[in-house]
Amino acid sequence: MGAWRVWRLLLRAQLREQPGRLALNVLSIALGVALASAIFLVNGAALAQFTGATRRLVGDADVIVRGPAGGFPEGLFARLARDPAVAVASPVVEVDAAIAGRTEPLPVRGIDPFRAGELQHALIEGLGGATRDLFQADGIVLSAAAATALDLKAGDPLTVVVGDRPTRLRVVGVMPKTAYSQPLGLMDIASAQWVFDRVGRLNRVDLRLVDGADAAAFRAALVGRLPAGVFPVAPGTEIGRAATVTRAYRVNLNMLALIALWTGAFLVFSTQSASVLRRRGSLALLRALGVTRGELRRALAAEGAFLGALGALIGIVGGAVLATAMLRVLAGDLGNGQLRVFGATLAWQPWALAGFFGIGVLVSAAGAWAPAKAAAQLPPAQALKGGAGDPAATVRTGWRLGCALGALGIALAWLPPVAHLPLFGYASIAALLFAAVSLVPTVTVALLRAAPRTGRVTLDNAIAQLRDNVGAATLSLASIIVSFSLMVAMAIMVHSFRQSFAHWLGKLLPADIEMRVPPNADTAFWNADEQRRLAATPGIARIEFRRTLHLALDGRQAPVTLIARDISRATAARVLPILRQSAVRAPPDPPPAWVSEAMVDRYGVTPGARLRLPLGGRWRTFTVAGVWRDYARSTGAIVIGRAAYAAATGDNAATEASLWLAPHADADRVGQALRARLGAPEAVQITTSTTVRARSLAIFDRAFTITYALEAIAVLIGLAGVAFAMSSTAIARRAEFGMLRHIGMRRGQVIAMLAEEGIILSSLGAVYGLIVGFGLSLVLVFVVNRQSFDWSIDLAVPLARLCLLGAILVIAAAVTAAWSGRAAVGGDALRAVREDW
Amino acid sequence: MSGGGAARAAWLAAGFCACALAGAPDRGTPDTRYATVDPALALAFPADFGSHPAFRTEWWYVTGWLHTAAHAPLGFQITFFRDRPDIWRGNPSAFTPRQLLIAHCAISDPKRGRLWRAQAIERAGFGLAQAATGDTDVWIGRWRLERRDGVYAGRCFGTDFSLSLRLEPTQAPLLNGSGGYSRKGPGENAASEYYSLPQLRVSGRVLRAGRSTPVTGTAWLDHEWSSSYLDQAAVGWDWIGINLRDGGALMAFRIRAADGSSRWAGGTIRTADGRTRTLQPGDVRFRPLRDWLSPRTAVRYPVAWRVHAGNRVITLEPLIDDQENDSRATSGALYWEGAVRAFENGRLTGHGYLELTGYGGKLRLH
Amino acid sequence: MAEEPQPTRAVVLRLESVRKRFAADRPAVLDGIDLELVEGEYVAVMGESGVGKSTLLNVLAGLDSPDSGRVTLDGVDLSTLDDDAITRLRRRAVGFVFQAFHVLPYLSAAQNVSLPLELLGVPAVERNARTTRMLDALGLAALAARLPRQLSGGEIQRIAIARALVHSPRVLLADEPTGNLDPRSAAQTLQVLRAQVKAHAGAGILITHSRAAAETADRILTLDARGLAAEERR
Repeated sequence: MGAWRVWRLLLRAQLREQPGRLALNVLSIALGVALASAIFLVNGAALAQFTGATRRLVGDADVIVRGPAGGFPEGLFARLARDPAVAVASPVVEVDAAIAGRTEPLPVRGIDPFRAGELQHALIEGLGGATRDLFQADGIVLSAAAATALDLKAGDPLTVVVGDRPTRLRVVGVMPKTAYSQPLGLMDIASAQWVFDRVGRLNRVDLRLVDGADAAAFRAALVGRLPAGVFPVAPGTEIGRAATVTRAYRVNLNMLALIALWTGAFLVFSTQSASVLRRRGSLALLRALGVTRGELRRALAAEGAFLGALGALIGIVGGAVLATAMLRVLAGDLGNGQLRVFGATLAWQPWALAGFFGIGVLVSAAGAWAPAKAAAQLPPAQALKGGAGDPAATVRTGWRLGCALGALGIALAWLPPVAHLPLFGYASIAALLFAAVSLVPTVTVALLRAAPRTGRVTLDNAIAQLRDNVGAATLSLASIIVSFSLMVAMAIMVHSFRQSFAHWLGKLLPADIEMRVPPNADTAFWNADEQRRLAATPGIARIEFRRTLHLALDGRQAPVTLIARDISRATAARVLPILRQSAVRAPPDPPPAWVSEAMVDRYGVTPGARLRLPLGGRWRTFTVAGVWRDYARSTGAIVIGRAAYAAATGDNAATEASLWLAPHADADRVGQALRARLGAPEAVQITTSTTVRARSLAIFDRAFTITYALEAIAVLIGLAGVAFAMSSTAIARRAEFGMLRHIGMRRGQVIAMLAEEGIILSSLGAVYGLIVGFGLSLVLVFVVNRQSFDWSIDLAVPLARLCLLGAILVIAAAVTAAWSGRAAVGGDALRAVREDW
Repeated sequence: MSGGGAARAAWLAAGFCACALAGAPDRGTPDTRYATVDPALALAFPADFGSHPAFRTEWWYVTGWLHTAAHAPLGFQITFFRDRPDIWRGNPSAFTPRQLLIAHCAISDPKRGRLWRAQAIERAGFGLAQAATGDTDVWIGRWRLERRDGVYAGRCFGTDFSLSLRLEPTQAPLLNGSGGYSRKGPGENAASEYYSLPQLRVSGRVLRAGRSTPVTGTAWLDHEWSSSYLDQAAVGWDWIGINLRDGGALMAFRIRAADGSSRWAGGTIRTADGRTRTLQPGDVRFRPLRDWLSPRTAVRYPVAWRVHAGNRVITLEPLIDDQENDSRATSGALYWEGAVRAFENGRLTGHGYLELTGYGGKLRLH
Repeated sequence: MAEEPQPTRAVVLRLESVRKRFAADRPAVLDGIDLELVEGEYVAVMGESGVGKSTLLNVLAGLDSPDSGRVTLDGVDLSTLDDDAITRLRRRAVGFVFQAFHVLPYLSAAQNVSLPLELLGVPAVERNARTTRMLDALGLAALAARLPRQLSGGEIQRIAIARALVHSPRVLLADEPTGNLDPRSAAQTLQVLRAQVKAHAGAGILITHSRAAAETADRILTLDARGLAAEERR
C-alpha cells in the first residue's frame, strides 16, 4: 500500500521530469517485444498453415508406407490392401512435377479418389463433381493456391516436364480454398503413373487399420516386410516434419529477436541506475520522511515493471501489425525458404502473446531491480549529505560475480545440444554477457588508475571525474557493451559463415557452366541418349553429369539427398569440400560414399564406417570414405560414384551437369546450342558458374538482412542508453559545470571535457565490446551454429569492418556526450549551484 | 504451350529420336466403343450370368423379404453395379479405371423405421474388385455376389450391419421383353438385356448393431446390361418385382418423362404353372395412391400404388415409408428402393420390391 | 541532567547513555548522552561544528543507530525495532526540518507539504484540508501551487516546516533550519517554528549555532565532547 503510493508519486514526478527517458525505455521494450512476437507469430502462422496442409494430406491414415521418389512395385499395395488388419489402403503416386518455364515444381498426387476419399475425406471432397473428369488420362485438378500460382483455370492446358519431354495436361477443375491451402495437383493414379512414366510403381500407400488394431505394433511388424527404402511412417512424424526440419531456424530467429529485448533490459538497467543516482537526494528524503526500504525498492522496481508493461503492450500490438505485414509480403518465409506457404493467416495466440508480455515486464522489472535495491540500501542520512555508495564494494562484488559467471559461461559452451537445439550455447552467451557487464567496474577502475596525467585540463578533469564515479560510468557502459559485443559476435559469425560459404561454392562450382533441371522436381531428367547428345554440343571441352535424388533412410527422419557423380577416392578432396577422410583400404571394401556433416549428426555415420543405402529396391553397402561440408541440404547429403549408382539401380539418368568450355568458346552460344538439343529447354537452367556464385552469395546476404537489421536496432538502443546516461549525469553535474564556468572554464571547454569523457568511455566500451564480442563469436560459431545447423564453419574475423563499427560507436558517443553537455551548460550557472543539494 | 512446340520443332529439325515423340499419345480424347444390345441374339447361360464388360452399364439386383426366427419381417437389397467409364484406353497402368464397381446394400427394418444401408465403390483391378465373365461373380473387397453350383451367395458389410445370404433358385430364369431384349423407350436405341430370377429361396444371417440373427425368406434377382438405357426424354422409372404367394412372378416397369407421364412400359408375368406373358406398353399402368416426403432430401416419393399389369390389378403398400436410398456418393443415384406387400382384391397375394427413380431430378447412369 | 519542570507530563523522547563512533581510530562523536523530553517541551541544542549535533538528531530520528545506549520514543525502545518498523514509526511520529531545503523539486508547495499525510494513507479530503490549514498557518496559502524553484529560500524553508508538522508528529527535529536564511526570514521562521511546535507537536528539538535562535526555545542545552548539559533556563 505504501509502496503503491510512493510509486505513484515517483512516476508522476518522472513523467514530468524525464519523459524522454521513460519513452525510450518503453520504446526499447516495445521494440524487443514487437520483434520477438512478430517473428513468433509469423513462424507460428506459417507452421500452422504447413502443418494444417500436411494434416489434410495425411487425413485419417494410421500408417503411411512411403518409398523413394522412384517408387516401389505396385504389388505391395495389393498385398497391404488384403492384410486383415487393414481397413482401407490408398495407393499414391507422389511427384514434384517440373513445370515448363517454372523453377518451383508442382507437388502432384496421383490417387484413387474412391480409396483416398476414405482417408483424406476433406481433400477429396474438394474434387466436387470433377471426380469422373479425373479419369481422363490428361486430367488434373489444381488446388486454389496452385491455380493462382500458375495462373490457370479449369479448361486450361498445363505442361509438365517428364524426363526431357514436355507433356500436356488439362486442368479439369480447381478445388475450393477450403479443401487445401497449398499448391497441389490431383490426378487419377492411373493417369499419374502413365504421364510420369511410373506405370507399375507407387511411392506411397496410406493405410487405415481396422478398429482396435495397434498402429504402432502394425508399423513395427511392417518394417521387415517392406522392400529396402520403403518405410512405415507414423502420421505424427509426417505432420511434425515441417516443424522438426525448421525448428532450429525458428528458434535461432526468435533468439535473435530476443536480443533486442535483452538489450532493452540493459537499457532499462542503465537508465534506471542513472536516474536513481540522479534522484539520490529525493529518494533519501523520502526515506527520512518515513518510506521504508522495502517500499522504496518495490516502488522503483514497479517503475521498471510499469515501463515494461507499457512497452510490452505497445510491442504486442506492434508485433501483430508487423506480423500481418510480413505474412503479406514474405508469405511466411523469414529467409530460409523452407516455410514458404500460401495464404497463412495470423492466428491469435493469446498464451504466447501473454508470454511475450510477461517477458517484457519481467525483463524491464529485472533491469530496474538492481538499481532499486542499491537505492534502497543507501543509508539516508549519508545520502542526504550527497555521498554515493562505496565504489570499492561495487568493484569487489562485480569482480567476484564476473569471474563466477565467466567460468559458468565457458563451462556451458562445452555441453551438448538439447533436442537438436543449442540451449546451453545460448545460456553460455547469456552468462558471458553478464560476466562481461559485471567485470566492467573492475576493468574501468584498473584502466583509469593506470591513465597518466596529460596536462590538458579538460582531459585530466574528465579522467578524474570518471575515476571518482565508477558506478555511473559502468552504468552508462552496460547497455552499449551488451549491444555492441552482440553485434561484434554476430558480425564475426556471419562473416565466418559467408567466407566458408564462398569457399564451399568455389569447390562445388568448379566448371564454367552449370546446368540442371528444376531443382526439387523429381520428374525431369536426361536419359543416356540425351546426355550423349548434350555432351556432343560443340564448344564443350568436358561435361560431367550428376544424378540428384531424395532418399529416405528410415521412417522417422526427413529424406536425405543422394548425389551420384563422377568421383573417386583420388579426386574426392579436389571436387568436394572434404573435412575428414578415412584411410584408403583395399578394393574388397564396399564402394566409397562421402557424407555431409548432417549425416554424421543425424545418422551417426563416421569415416571408415559402413553405410547402407536402399538402392534399386535392395540395401547396398558403402564405405564412408569422408565427410564433407554442405550448406545446401540441411537434412543430409551423400555422394557416391555414378557407376556404383547405375550398377545398383540401372538408372543412367542425370539431373545436373557441369561443363568446361573449349578454348575460345562463348558461354552464351554454347548455352543456346545446349538448349537446342533439349526436348524441354524451358525446364532447364543453364547458367555460368560465376552467375550462380554471385546469385548464391546475394541470396545468402538477403537471408542475413534480418539479422543485420535486428543488430542495428540493438546497437541503436544501446547508443540511446549511452545518450541518456550521459545527459543524466550531465544534468546532475550542472552545479559542477556552473562552478567550473565560475572559475573561468569556457563553455567550449566544458563541452570538450564532456566529449572527451564520452570518447574515453565509448572507446573503453568499444575495445571491451570487441574483446567480449570475439569471445561470444567463438560460442556462436563453434557451439550455437554447429549444434543448430549440422554444419561447421571456419572462424574468420572481419577486422576492418569491426574497427569501422567501433569508430562509429566512439564518434556517436562523443557527439552524444557533447550534445548533452550543451544542454547542461545552457542554463545559468548560479541557478545550477543552488539546485545542487 | 508455344515454347514446348518450338522445342519440339527444334528437336525434330536436329533429327534426333523422333520415335519418342511418336510414342507420346494425345491423352485427351476418350475413344471408348460400347457394345449395343442385339434383339437377334439369344441369351446363353451360364455365360450371360457373368459380366458383360463391353457394355456401359450392368447390374445384379437382389431384393427380397426375410423373416427372423421371431417371424419379424425384413426387406433387403444387395446390388452390384458395373460401370464402364468413357476414357482413353491406351493407358497401360493397372489402375486404369476400365470398369468401376459399385454396390448398395440395405435392410428395411420396421423396428428401425428406416434403412440400414451401406455402399461401396472401387475400380476393378488387383483382384480387389472385379466383375467376372462366364458366370456371376462380382466383388468389391469383402462384398460379393457369386453363383456357384447353381446357388448364389451374397455378402455385404456396413459399419453397423451386415448380410450373408444363400440364394437358391427354384425356377428357370425369366427372360424379360423379347427373349431377354427389353425395350426401354419408343426408340430402338433405348434397350437392355434383362432376365430375372424370381422365387429365390433365401437362408442366412443378418447382423444388426452387433446382434446376429438367422433369417429365411424369398428373393428376386434382376440382371440387366445395356449401353443406352434411358433416352433423352426420360427422367427415371418405376419398377416392381413381386414374388406371388402362389409361386408366380410379376415384373412391371414404366419409364417416366419429366411431366410424370409414361414414356414406355413393359413387364412380364409368369403364373404358377410356368406360363409366361410379356406385357406391352399398353398393358401396364402405374397409378400413385399415396406420397411420402423424405425429411432428409425433401424429395416426394409415391410409396403406395395401384398397378395394372395385363389383367391383374395390384395394390402396393410399403413395409415402411422411409426406404429412401441416397447413393449419390457412389452411383450418383438418389432413389427409393423398398419392400412392398402386393394385394389383389384386398387379399395379400405377394411380396416384392418397388423401385422409384428420378424423383429427385433426372437419373444419371454413369 | 536537566530538571523536570512539570513531572506529571508524559515523556516523549528519552536518550540513555547513547554512544556513537564512526571510525575506530577517531573519538566517539556522541559519548554517553542522556536526554529526556516531555510533552510540550521545545529545546534548543547548541554546540560547535563537528561536535555531533546532526548525528544526535539522526540517532533521535532512527536514521542512524547508536553503538550503545537506548533511544526511547513514546516508550518504544528503537533498538528493539528493525529498519522498517523504525521507518514506519518515523513516518508517524517524527517531523524533520533540514538545514538544506530538501523539498522535492518536482512537487508543488502543497504536494510537498501533504507528502507525510499521503505516506500515512490519510484520505484525500482530510489530507487536503490539513494541508490547506497548515499552509494557511504558515502564510503560504497563496503559494500552494508553486514549484520550489519559483520560491524564495525563506518560503521553501517554511514549506519544509509545514511538511514536518502537517501530520502532528510527537517529535519535531529541526537541524539548523535558519542556516541559509537572511536575518529577517530567520526570525520569522523561528517564530513560526515555536508556535507550531506548541500547537501541533508533542515536543521539539532545535539545533542551531545561533544564540538568538536558541533563545526562542524553552531551554537551551549545549553539546560538547563531555556530553549534553543544560545551559540556562528561560
